[in-house]
Amino acid sequence: MNRLEQLKSSGNKAFVAYVMAGDGGLERLREQVQYLQGAGVTAIEIGIPFSDPVADGPTIEAAGNRALKQGVTLQKVLEELKSWTFDIKIPLLVMTYLNPVLKFGVERFATECGKAGISGVIIPDLPYEHKQLVQPQLDKENIKLIQLVTLTTTDIRLDAILREAEGFVYAVTIKGITGSRDELSQDVKMFMQKIRKKSPVPVYAGFGISKSSHVDMLRDDVDGFIVGSAIVEAFNAGKIEEIEPLIRAVTTA
Amino acid sequence: MTKVKICGLKEKQHVQAASRADAVGFVFAPSKRQVTIEQAAELAKHVPVDADKIGVFVNASLKEIEDTVAGVPLTMVQLHGDEPDELVKAIQVPVIQAFSIRTKEDVAKLKRSLADYVLVDAPGTDYRGGSGNVFDWSLLDGADIDPDRLIVAGGLNPGNVHAAIEQTTPYMVDVSSGVETDNRKDTVKIQEFIKQVKGDSVEQTLEKVGFFGKYGGQFVPETLMKAVKELEDAYNEAKEDPEFHKEYHHYLSEYVGREQPLTFAKRMTEAYGGPKIYLKREDLNHTGAHKVNNAIGQALLAMRMGKRKIVAETGAGQHGVATATICALFDLDCVIFMGEEDIKRQQLNVFRMKLLGARVESVTKGSATLKDAVNEALRYWVANVEDTHYLIGSALGPHPFPTMVRDFQSVIGEETKRQILEKEGRLPDTILACVGGGSNAIGMFYPFIQDKEVELIGVEAAGQGVDTDKHAATLTKGTDGVLHGALMKLLQDDAGQVQEAHSISAGLDYPGIGPEHAHLADTGRVEYRSITDDEALAAVISMSRLEGIIPALESAHAIAEAQKQAKQMTADQILVICVSGRGDKDMATYAEKLEGLS
Ligand SMILES: Cc1ncc(COP(=O)(O)O)c(C=O)c1O
Repeated sequence: MNRLEQLKSSGNKAFVAYVMAGDGGLERLREQVQYLQGAGVTAIEIGIPFSDPVADGPTIEAAGNRALKQGVTLQKVLEELKSWTFDIKIPLLVMTYLNPVLKFGVERFATECGKAGISGVIIPDLPYEHKQLVQPQLDKENIKLIQLVTLTTTDIRLDAILREAEGFVYAVTIKGITGSRDELSQDVKMFMQKIRKKSPVPVYAGFGISKSSHVDMLRDDVDGFIVGSAIVEAFNAGKIEEIEPLIRAVTTA
Repeated sequence: MTKVKICGLKEKQHVQAASRADAVGFVFAPSKRQVTIEQAAELAKHVPVDADKIGVFVNASLKEIEDTVAGVPLTMVQLHGDEPDELVKAIQVPVIQAFSIRTKEDVAKLKRSLADYVLVDAPGTDYRGGSGNVFDWSLLDGADIDPDRLIVAGGLNPGNVHAAIEQTTPYMVDVSSGVETDNRKDTVKIQEFIKQVKGDSVEQTLEKVGFFGKYGGQFVPETLMKAVKELEDAYNEAKEDPEFHKEYHHYLSEYVGREQPLTFAKRMTEAYGGPKIYLKREDLNHTGAHKVNNAIGQALLAMRMGKRKIVAETGAGQHGVATATICALFDLDCVIFMGEEDIKRQQLNVFRMKLLGARVESVTKGSATLKDAVNEALRYWVANVEDTHYLIGSALGPHPFPTMVRDFQSVIGEETKRQILEKEGRLPDTILACVGGGSNAIGMFYPFIQDKEVELIGVEAAGQGVDTDKHAATLTKGTDGVLHGALMKLLQDDAGQVQEAHSISAGLDYPGIGPEHAHLADTGRVEYRSITDDEALAAVISMSRLEGIIPALESAHAIAEAQKQAKQMTADQILVICVSGRGDKDMATYAEKLEGLS
């Protein structure tokens, strides 16, 4: 069974952590994943670096460039994941732009993700309209294609997206690109409530979540939180333990 | 996939219901579905640009047919009478010849047709031109008709079309009475018929509207989907509004100074020793290049959408200057992203943009050139999407940008076509244009795409040579990939990371190519060649001294290729070069590279 299917039943709020694969060297990925699993996160998104990451903010883009300098590729990341023998109990997801997947081959990407034990895939530049490009191949491997919705998603599209949503829904909390922002707008709260009412799968808020005040504001309206830039920054600065209070704030309250 | 034609349309709502069809038919012969040229011309405005508009005639004269083709305009002609072979041959656009099928002998007659396509129909009753009766499809079994030429009609309806396709595997199916209720077209039946042929997934719809073959699409973050769709709707609506066209053409003539001459290049013609050479003078536009044609169109559209903030990227700075100029004219807020590398190469244009009141943001990421400027402009758009229009500068990006930019630049080719017919009484043999993202080239080529006798050549930048790693020859060296919202051809490594392009000319220094060009390369309709930095510089000197026109470095690529091409052509042939811009902005590069010139 796909581990993402157990998410909703768990009761607690979810904490999904994002790491940039190969930032600081690909060999660090296993310790990062083990660390996060130990710290109690619900799932981990493994980011694949890309030369033109238009949906990412400066923190993740810089991490991607560091990884690219180390020669990290989609293939190397998947090889690395397949080599792991330690026990992974939480769902792992791959987050990548579309072009590396097309170059690698969609079919091959799906089977290799299957072999690497990946539960879900997020492709930020693959909108609902084009998802048939990869959905059938992922279906065959029972890997979920996670959909994003944003404040600018129209109601018609929102309904269509949610009707076919699987795994969880990635609800984008700010209009802009990834990166930590100080203020979360009030529209966000209503937006989350609307999605949650319609969604057949858990709704996680992401993009711009970096402090417990964000979590407090949205706690009642979502099923969990996705945290990217704050974790990437903490790993890069060698201060990952500073993220633990945020994880606890989400998962234990 | 089998194509669909909906025939005998008389009302706008039915034309619109047929928007997913590949072709629509207007009947000019006596029939209850007959329309006049004026009516058809009005209806044709609602037909998608990539769909065929087919006129149905019964024993009309060549003159009647030609007048109708020009008046609507039509892209194909369908003949339902006893037209002689001479008439079939004399018609300039592709021809469909229809045959009523009763017996195997009728099938044999059809096989001898000289038309591009043959249409099989059941025998007519009171009117010629289709009766609605079902013909016996099995008559085609073993008839050995090329399925790529075959169009099946006669009593098709949403209920039986599937079976007809299975049995005859035609190029296209044609329906008229099968999508009518009480002798009038029925919107629901039209849509149902198309759905039966094409399936109904969003994918397939998009395949028609946002794609050129397999290239194109809307590969953008979810945050931008609303803006992209709104733009698509707004453009579709504006495109059909005569007022919008009037305004656009008003600014083109009163502000940009169009139409631009098609100059006969006498001394170049003599020096190159081949065909007669004509120059399309986009260098004479206000702001110095073709970019302004597109900037005006998009700025008018943005204002129509209630947006008064503009973001744009620029490479050579020509598009940035054009955008800043138009923003000054219309009092719009303007931010331009430009690579740090390009800022160095194009100092003069940076100053111009600032003088015009634009904010120029330097981009230091990646290769610090055009690709990275597009990334930053897209990011800025993501963050400011509610009140900002992204005024993209080439035939790139998510749908509808490539189509829209092409349409706004098509004025280049439309004028050229009119001018060459006036001057020479015929179309040119060869047309050359440089390709960066591809906007001047597609604008020049598009009106000639259906004129198969005109050879179209796009010229990319080979930088220091296509076999070095310093070039921008995307079509020569690139592979399929997604960048900046569209599937196109890209320079990329084995892991799908986009590579840096290199060209002495900032405007060609881009690792991708617009999706329509990628498609035209695949189909072979346009040939793409490449010219090195050194060859382009030599062409700058050559053209400056022969014609007193100092071209932009980008345009010099087309000129250099023209010089080679001319050697393979003869004195009775005609060659047209698109001079996309003037060289003022490149003077610092020229001064440096051509130092010691004597
Ligand atoms: C004069 C000129 N020609 C050509 C180009 C290339 O662009 P495109 O291929 O979109 O026409 C540029 C781009 O900056 C330009 O300034």
